[in-house]
Amino acid sequence: MKFTLIKDIKKDSEMSIILRGLLMFILLYLIADIFVMSSNFGITSHTLNTTLFGDEDEYIDPIGSSAFLEFWHTQIFFIMMVLLTLNSIFIRLAKEYKILITNIVMMSAILSLVCLPLSFYFSAVFVDLYIVSYFTWHITALYMVADSLWRLNAKSV
Amino acid sequence: MQRAYSLAVFYYLLFSILLVMSAVLIFETKIGFSINGILDYYLGNEEKYILKQSFESILKINLPHLFSFAALAMVLLHFLVFTKHRFSKRNTILIYATFITAFLEIFTPMFIINGFEFFAYLKLLSFFLFLSLVLYISWLLFISIINE
Repeated sequence: MKFTLIKDIKKDSEMSIILRGLLMFILLYLIADIFVMSSNFGITSHTLNTTLFGDEDEYIDPIGSSAFLEFWHTQIFFIMMVLLTLNSIFIRLAKEYKILITNIVMMSAILSLVCLPLSFYFSAVFVDLYIVSYFTWHITALYMVADSLWRLNAKSV
Repeated sequence: MQRAYSLAVFYYLLFSILLVMSAVLIFETKIGFSINGILDYYLGNEEKYILKQSFESILKINLPHLFSFAALAMVLLHFLVFTKHRFSKRNTILIYATFITAFLEIFTPMFIINGFEFFAYLKLLSFFLFLSLVLYISWLLFISIINE
């Protein structure tokens, strides 16, 4: 996270290019994550319920406890790494609402990760909360990428 | 640390706790917190219809963990640099202990499948020790954040 220590990114054209590259890949990750979740796990109430609890009419078995935990575990790791990196860049570049945006993106991401096992082990009620929080952190993260890219462009030499 | 950075670190600590919780649940579901459970999982058990783990299957699990353990340890430990704990003897011990327990946690199954059943104890011990260290570092960071 050396970029957090550079005083004026405006004067560091190399770091600016590196950060733009990183932001572009985070942008691709966020978009790809939605497509992968949509096809493998589900991002609507119906598809998520089918994945988690199965569907007798369509002869679909529910996901196994072991497979679910592995999925959850992987999701936590990737989300924490992506959001920490993105947040570090955003805080470095943004001028206003840093605290508010950080709170929204982190709290909604944590809420989505908490809702997932709550849906699986306790109640399907949490599925809808998971969907709302999942899209909230994705949209906020996309805004953070866009804002950071815009500021880097405006600042570049 | 700037307030916004402290906030980001605080949330990272919450993610770390979730990660530890999920790791405990996976271990409990797939292996179980007993020496027999660990031996059954890696050496197989015909009565319980558990297949023996091969070198390749263990390596397949180890591969993502090699990077993720190191990344998690590096990120958490490097935050300590921004606290009063920097250059303390405890910090140095923490750094060594975290990486050594992570290494043991990842590689002890290799010894178990090669007949060294004693390493089942080391697997269980290193698993809990690594997670305890993650939680302890998180606690140190949390205290540093609220004392700022």
